[in-house]
Amino acid sequence: MAGVKSWNARLMGRHYWLVNLGLAGVVLAGLILLLPDSIGEFPPAWDIGFGPAVNELQQWWISNRRDLGVYLYFFDPLSDSIDWLLRAFENFLLGIPWFIHVAGVGLLFGRWMGLWRGVAAGAGMLYFVVLGLWEQSVQTLALMTVAVLLSVAIGIPVGIWAARSDFMNRLLRPLLDSMQTLPAFVYLIPVLLFFGVARVPSLIATVIYALPPVIRLTNLGIRQVPAETVEAGEMFGTTRGQLLRKVQLPQAVPSLLAGINQTIMMALGIVVIAALIGAGGLGQEVLLALRHQEVGRAVEAGMAIVLMAVMLDRFSCSLVGQGRGNAQSASRGLSSHGWGTVGILLGAVAFVGWILGWNAYPEGLQFSYAALIDWMVDWARDNLYQVGTLPLGTGPFSDFLTTYGTRPMRLYLSQEAWPAVVVFFGFVAWWAAGKRLVLGSVLGTVVIGLLGMWTLTMDTLSQTVVAVLMAIVIGLPLGVAASRRDWLEKALRPVLDTLQTIPSFCFLVPVVILFNVGRIPGIIASVLYALPPVVRLTNLGIRSVEKEIVEASESFGVTRRQKLWKVQLPLAMPTVLAGINQTVMLVLAMVVIAGLVGGAGLGLEAVKGLARSDTGLGFEAGASIVILAMILDRITQGWAARFQPPSSDSQ
Amino acid sequence: MLNVQRKDKRVRATKTFKAALFLAVLALMVAACGTDDDGEAAPETTAAPETTAAPETTAAPETTAAPAGPDLGDIDNIKLAVNPWDGSAANVAVAKAVLESFGYSVERIEIDEQPQWAAIATGDIHASLEVWPSGHADNVASYIDGGGGVVHGGELGAIGKIGWWIPTYVVEENPAAGTWEGLQDPAIAGLYATAETGDKGQFLIGDASWVSYEQDIIDNLGLHLEVVYAGSEDALLAAMDSATSRGDPLLFYWWTPHSAFSKFDLTSFELPPYSDECYASEAVDCDYPEDVLFKIFWDQLAEQAPDAFTILSNFNYANEDQIFMLGKMDEGLSVDEAAAEWMAANESVWQSWIPTG
Repeated sequence: MAGVKSWNARLMGRHYWLVNLGLAGVVLAGLILLLPDSIGEFPPAWDIGFGPAVNELQQWWISNRRDLGVYLYFFDPLSDSIDWLLRAFENFLLGIPWFIHVAGVGLLFGRWMGLWRGVAAGAGMLYFVVLGLWEQSVQTLALMTVAVLLSVAIGIPVGIWAARSDFMNRLLRPLLDSMQTLPAFVYLIPVLLFFGVARVPSLIATVIYALPPVIRLTNLGIRQVPAETVEAGEMFGTTRGQLLRKVQLPQAVPSLLAGINQTIMMALGIVVIAALIGAGGLGQEVLLALRHQEVGRAVEAGMAIVLMAVMLDRFSCSLVGQGRGNAQSASRGLSSHGWGTVGILLGAVAFVGWILGWNAYPEGLQFSYAALIDWMVDWARDNLYQVGTLPLGTGPFSDFLTTYGTRPMRLYLSQEAWPAVVVFFGFVAWWAAGKRLVLGSVLGTVVIGLLGMWTLTMDTLSQTVVAVLMAIVIGLPLGVAASRRDWLEKALRPVLDTLQTIPSFCFLVPVVILFNVGRIPGIIASVLYALPPVVRLTNLGIRSVEKEIVEASESFGVTRRQKLWKVQLPLAMPTVLAGINQTVMLVLAMVVIAGLVGGAGLGLEAVKGLARSDTGLGFEAGASIVILAMILDRITQGWAARFQPPSSDSQ
Repeated sequence: MLNVQRKDKRVRATKTFKAALFLAVLALMVAACGTDDDGEAAPETTAAPETTAAPETTAAPETTAAPAGPDLGDIDNIKLAVNPWDGSAANVAVAKAVLESFGYSVERIEIDEQPQWAAIATGDIHASLEVWPSGHADNVASYIDGGGGVVHGGELGAIGKIGWWIPTYVVEENPAAGTWEGLQDPAIAGLYATAETGDKGQFLIGDASWVSYEQDIIDNLGLHLEVVYAGSEDALLAAMDSATSRGDPLLFYWWTPHSAFSKFDLTSFELPPYSDECYASEAVDCDYPEDVLFKIFWDQLAEQAPDAFTILSNFNYANEDQIFMLGKMDEGLSVDEAAAEWMAANESVWQSWIPTG
């Protein structure tokens, strides 16, 4: 009951900061008006020349590496042995007949998670074979496996170290943030210069991107072990090593496995980008499909990636013990005796097959639905681009969004006096997250200017803002509707799941065909990609509002609308804002990737850095993206924290 | 009770996982070590056929290939760079077929034209078959002339030309829209405007990795244009397709040899003519030069795979040959099928590349 009262007080309190906000807004407006327009963008002369310096370093490495011991005796052999390992693993997997894989994976899942999941997993494996994507899938799977093993091998020790040393923890946090937000385009070239081309650099790039969750969750898991437990251990006189191995690590296992699960998903998320430096596999299928504008081919390969992600996800989840199948259904699978028999049987079949030479999947039985998808997209392009002579369709919509959305906002942001923009950022940071963030965001924006990326950052920012607004306008009502109707929630779930698992890249393929060349395809793709968190968390937030509070409000006779606006939404705000935070980060990531299809701004600059071996340019753009991402992240997080109810202990 | 069950399941699960992991590692080791220990393979029965199957498939090309031709050299797997345009893919498809007919195996590596230099310098890629000199003066200086690990592999035979192009109907209606002087006038440049570029005209280019002096040319000539990236060769073709079908003006980056000229009626946009001085200066403000396309090889290719080096050095054909294959690809053939058709019709050409004796 105390809850209701404090909520009430807090809702009143909101008006006070609204007053503050108004006052600060007036001051800000005054400042902007006082600054002459002639100041404009950040002075280009202040560019500190970070890029050229990086390029000089790169040039030095290129011309000297063939004489350097560190290259000849470390990077080169290391790269060769990783390459050898990967190829051996690939060849080993490809050497096993396809039906062994299908049956083996099916049995593994069946034994572990029940009959139906086993059948589904077998069918999933069959998809790769039937679609003729077998080799690519195996290549991707091999790369994933080695990348994940390597991430775990590096991530767990580092995570333990971070858990034991606060200094290390503080040092790592910004580094991990950067690893996750720095677009992979930026470090592909340096990785390529150290590790050569094709498999190895792709592996390294995947590890860089997928490593943070293992480190984070190992650290978290160990830090969350109750102090009492640790003290009890110490009381028995354990050494530090024993404490770690016998007490802390076992307790941290669920969190650790959750980290590995996330790492797997991240690794699969980057397969397409890694294809830019020759990773091959399913990623390359999607990349080529994008270049050749073959939506059907992209969908087929994209679905294979989704299937692989889902299977690996379920698999690793069941390691955590969160597998949805209960113990009973698992026992319906095979006994270990039966397991062995089936194994022997399959082995025998494979052996006979190897002798008779029918282990390869017959090409005649391959199936493809690419033509159907292509036909649908062609139809959409011909009929939805413009409906008759009406100003309707994707073409006019595209123009509308450019003329009234991205373009004016971009021009405004990049032509506005730069100090005003810096102050504006500081102001928003103060309003959302308090004093601590002000210095960071002001410094950050100035650094972006010093890197010479001011105008491009404003371009990317304007695209991000437009896409986030669109995602909210679509996602929020959808989430509200889903919270009221169970059937809608159920119907949306698989759609959202799919949207979230599809590699971000795949969204680009259809949108570039349906929308006009320029920034809009990227924005549309971002909206699709970033929609799930808003919808999900709005739904979740409203559904988890305490029943008593809703009932209390109903007893006062509120209308449905009042109930939504005055009770449910305000109480759900922390969760909704957490969703918006995620959406902002996803949009930014996607807007950057859209640089590959003419998205302009920082993304295009990062792509140019990769495509033209201009690593300096790539790093300038990448650093700006990281700074922008961190500021936006902290601001939305801080904003969400304002709405957080006071924790129950304090009452 | 429930807890116990779950725990039990987890223990069992971890055990199985450990076993699977162990098996995988073991099998991997066995497979990698070759054929000498088939009999005593892993304890699990499923692993046995696997280990015999794996080396069998990998070894196949080596054993069948070795006696067929002369000694291939230390390297029998040739890695060729495929750059993101169809002409490059066509060259590689032909080279692949010829090298394979000789006994080599060939691996295609998709990579952009700039990063490929660093990869060729270390032998991660052995050759790239279509380099456009206009954009690679720096690379030639540091990697070839500076002894950076790359050697000039002779001319491809085809002559390329990058340039600015417009559909012919645009100049027929408005001749000034086809010259650089015309586009200094904002009103005429505005013909090419889109929602994306606002008042300025749009200049459309494809892949961000392509050789491009567009921004320099536009800035230095004072043209009222803004560069927009379509993303790829096919995206640019799609833009041409939709513009010409609606009769809209479009100004874009394109090159010969290309099969698009047989599909669209295109006219070259007039830029100030190319001069060496113009390209030697920092501020490029003229047309692209004619590009004598050439090949680049890893500097140890001749030593490590002498016959592949000879074949690739001899590799030479004309614009028409490439256009023939690009045309076939437009008709829906895969690049390998297109290459096979060209090879069937031009057997004497590619046979002459193969060393005799």
